[in-house]
Amino acid sequence: MAEMIKLFVNGEEVEVESGKNLIDAVGAVGIEIPHFCYHPALGADGNCRMCLVGIEDGRPPLVPACKTPAAEGMKVQLDTDKIKKIQRDMMEFELINHPIDCPVCDQAGECTLQDYYMTYDGVSSRMNVEQVKKAKKLDFGGGVVHDQERCVLCGRCVRFCRQITKTGELGIVNRTDSARVDIFPGRPLNNRYALNVVDLCPVGAMTSADFRFKQRVWFLKKDEGICHGCSKGCNIFIDHNREKYKDDTIYRFRPRHNDQVNGYFICDEGRLSHKKENEGRLLESLKNGKPYNLTESYVLAQKAITNAENVLILVSPNLPLEQLVATQVFAQKIGASLSGYSDGYIVKGDGDDFLIQDDKAANRKGLELLGINTGGDFFWDSLEKAECFICIDNELPAVDTKRLIKALRETKVIALSSHHFNLVDQAFVAIPVASFSEYGGSIINCDGVLQSFQAAVVKNTPIADVTEVLRRLGGPLSSAPEVLAAIHRVEGPLAKVDFNRIPAEGLKL
Amino acid sequence: MSAKVKVVKRKGDTLPEKLYLVEVLKGMKTSFGHFWRNLRDNSRLYVRHYPEQQPEITPRWRGRHRLTTHEDGSIKCVACFMCQTNCPSRCIMIEAGERLDDRDEKLPVRFDIDLLECIYCGYCVEACPKDAIRMDTGIFSLVEHNREKMLVGLDELAATPGAFTEDDYQKRGL
Amino acid sequence: MSNVDILLVILRVSFGAFVPLCFIAVLVWMERRGAGFFQDRSGPNRANIFGFRAAGLVQNLADAAKLIFKEDVVPGHIKHKFYFIFAPAIVFFTAVASFAVVPFADTLVIGDKSYVMQAIPTDVGILWFLALAGFAVYGIILAGWASTNKYGMLGGLRAAAQVISYEIPMGLALVSLLAVYGTVNLSEMAQFQGQLLFGFIPMWGVILQPLGLIIFVVAAFAEANRTPFDLAEGESELVAGFHVEYSAMKFAVFFMGEYVAMFTSSAIIVTLFFGGYQIPWLNTETLVVYAKPVAVVLMLLLPVLMYYFAGWIRKSNVSHYDRPNDPRRREAAVYIKILWGVVAIMELILLAILLSPSGGVATRIFVAELQIATFLLKTTLMCFVYVWVRWTLPRFRYDQLQKLGWQTLLPLSLLNIFITGAVVVAVS
Repeated sequence: MAEMIKLFVNGEEVEVESGKNLIDAVGAVGIEIPHFCYHPALGADGNCRMCLVGIEDGRPPLVPACKTPAAEGMKVQLDTDKIKKIQRDMMEFELINHPIDCPVCDQAGECTLQDYYMTYDGVSSRMNVEQVKKAKKLDFGGGVVHDQERCVLCGRCVRFCRQITKTGELGIVNRTDSARVDIFPGRPLNNRYALNVVDLCPVGAMTSADFRFKQRVWFLKKDEGICHGCSKGCNIFIDHNREKYKDDTIYRFRPRHNDQVNGYFICDEGRLSHKKENEGRLLESLKNGKPYNLTESYVLAQKAITNAENVLILVSPNLPLEQLVATQVFAQKIGASLSGYSDGYIVKGDGDDFLIQDDKAANRKGLELLGINTGGDFFWDSLEKAECFICIDNELPAVDTKRLIKALRETKVIALSSHHFNLVDQAFVAIPVASFSEYGGSIINCDGVLQSFQAAVVKNTPIADVTEVLRRLGGPLSSAPEVLAAIHRVEGPLAKVDFNRIPAEGLKL
Repeated sequence: MSAKVKVVKRKGDTLPEKLYLVEVLKGMKTSFGHFWRNLRDNSRLYVRHYPEQQPEITPRWRGRHRLTTHEDGSIKCVACFMCQTNCPSRCIMIEAGERLDDRDEKLPVRFDIDLLECIYCGYCVEACPKDAIRMDTGIFSLVEHNREKMLVGLDELAATPGAFTEDDYQKRGL
Repeated sequence: MSNVDILLVILRVSFGAFVPLCFIAVLVWMERRGAGFFQDRSGPNRANIFGFRAAGLVQNLADAAKLIFKEDVVPGHIKHKFYFIFAPAIVFFTAVASFAVVPFADTLVIGDKSYVMQAIPTDVGILWFLALAGFAVYGIILAGWASTNKYGMLGGLRAAAQVISYEIPMGLALVSLLAVYGTVNLSEMAQFQGQLLFGFIPMWGVILQPLGLIIFVVAAFAEANRTPFDLAEGESELVAGFHVEYSAMKFAVFFMGEYVAMFTSSAIIVTLFFGGYQIPWLNTETLVVYAKPVAVVLMLLLPVLMYYFAGWIRKSNVSHYDRPNDPRRREAAVYIKILWGVVAIMELILLAILLSPSGGVATRIFVAELQIATFLLKTTLMCFVYVWVRWTLPRFRYDQLQKLGWQTLLPLSLLNIFITGAVVVAVS
């Protein structure tokens, strides 16, 4: 815990952490200082002048809050007429050439300019000259669409490309009212974190081509979730909405701040992985690739399991601990071998030193902690012996297909899957299960941080998760406390974890 | 008791009123007067012979919606969803798309109004920043044989003309 | 039994059974158009067959067709289906059966035999009516209870309490009336009213028992569950009361039962207080003697009345908006032609009466027909009073209803008995 200091804001004494600038320090106790260009991940720039605050008896008496460290006994003025006038003047200045096309702007509803106008300005424009026209709808590449007219030139996007991705594709060219953010000719934004500029942009200048015009943001329900795109486990907001007469659909993922895991950002691949939650989903049970009654499918699967001498269960490394342990207990009960073979999920050399990892499985650490065998030899040996092969959501990427076909020739395949893939369509019985946005659970990321998440999306016809499906197939675990008790029985660091009290930023194991 | 209190004598205290029967007969006399008048001359009934006689619709009347267009026939709506956001009965369903003419960036590719759910409050008209939706078609009688047909789409909404001149419409609130 | 006997039995029974049924249509029409006119509306006037709307009567056919072909729903929660279906039948049957004792003409004398003109020629008379009218409420209570519905139950209970309260003043009002007439037989009562008081006032019940009339009429309204006493239905608080769970024809049977009850109680009121079938100053013997002059007067009067009626039709049956080549005028012309045809036939019948020997069977039948017509006219007017009251008075509150029954009508009827008793004793 940092040292606490006392200072005065508008004459009232507040206690804040030392070593922070004024925006962060007083922001932590709920006092907002307006700002455009400052972002905690990008540092202070001091170009927007929106955060100017008065310091009583100070030299100088007027300072940008983003550049001023909080000091003991400082007397910060935010509500004097002078400061209010400065804020109003800054807003007027920002809005001189702003097109005010909020009706067609995707940022409307989460736009800093809109919010500040309502809070700090609220007066009509006095301008009676033509507005400066700039380029609109510029394709910057990387799925980013730029509108120069809406830009307030805070430079967050430019600094992001220089400081965070260190690619420096963006720059501010020209001066005064011709100044605009632009790319260098022929060098589009092509880094793997480019879409973060859409979140960073305080106004609607940067919009995502993927999300563009899909929804107005105030319709979206913003639930917390964890990206399952790789083993980093970045924290995200799952923005979803159930339109009238339609099903609950995810429209975008946005990064959620978590210093222990991902900071303020996520990669583009993870951000766009929301499409996978909507598309290619297995929604009804199949028998030999054809739609089949769900109840009957359970009966068929159960029969196949009981009739088989040797059963092999293959789990996905994406499943949360709860579902893995349910599978484990189920396997013990029916005497099946359980494999977590998922070498195909690792893409060598794909990761970087920021967020993206080689391992695309969200919960491999959990698999290991539960003691599930992930070895290839064990998997192939068991598969050749098995008369019944239960594949739980493991899409078997980069697996030797010929060897698999050969091994499965005499085997009844039961697939529990959230998505369609080859094995599902060829399986004897395929039963749909929920995907990660539809259930809650706990996963452990590559750095050993245990994080829990809740279900965000509720489909019109909810799909059962793996625990529930296994219960219907005769699994012994039927309730959440039973599942947690089963996890606690496993030797190792998980035995002592209180799963109901995992902190928001995750628990480092 | 302050000066502003006005004491009104309670009615119905006289003997004939208390007997009730006298008052009943008085009332029956009144109602029979109406009956007799209408029986003798039924041209004086206070009724409109709908549907042969249609009511006169004023420009302030909120009838079925329509989407207005520019002079060149392109739709004024920019799919800002203000009407959908404001709609208390959630009867407007819009899907936005990229607009390729020079007027704007965005336009509706789907604009459905479920007339069965609509309560004709007119909030959509008030919310519209572009004067793109109006309820001035003068259509007040909507009947269909099934629910699906009560869902009017973009084409129909844009094709319906307004029932009033632009002047009359603009003056409606004054 | 001779053929004439059998024929007359058939005639009387069918009169007692079918006239109330026919009057359902007339009353529904009268109620709806009457309501319209009372409220300055026009009432049902659109349903038509080939453009003929018969002043709105065709609407009844449309309603009947609708009710017959509607799905007959018996809600799933109803445990006693038999009682549920039986209840409307009770209401309807008791209403029709209670009309059976009402005389609609004086005793017909053909040759040496006389025939009482009642569907059921019984001596119990008014007691039969009281018994069946009291029984009708069982249908309502049963309907309310069998519906397994709180509104239905409350409606049924209200009806029960109301009928108990109002049967007492009704019965007591009748007691004084019986003291005057000295008989319970309705036929004899009607004959009694053919006399003249002081030689020039018809000795009707209304003259002899004005207080009795008021009490009886109020109680009869309450018994028939009509406004202002229709709390059993009470749509503002009970949705529809006892028939809230009923649909299609079962509902229609309740509805028809209500109108038959209204017709029957009108007939009883007419018989008890307004001289029944008696034409004022012309009792049966006088009529038989003066049959020919009466026929002549009628022959002269009919065309005159028809002339004015035709004028009214021509004036009323038009479209009240700008309509080229108005089909309603053509419609009116057809009606007028038909009615003139009816008048012509009636003139011929009257002529036949004139030419037949006086005092014979033909004269007696003519007199009976005149009396039937008088009776139906009086009853229709009484039914109109029902309609009139319904569209004038608002519904009572339930406590007001009970207060009126117990604290006003009961003492008044007792007082009436004492006064009547004193007068009767004094006169005799």
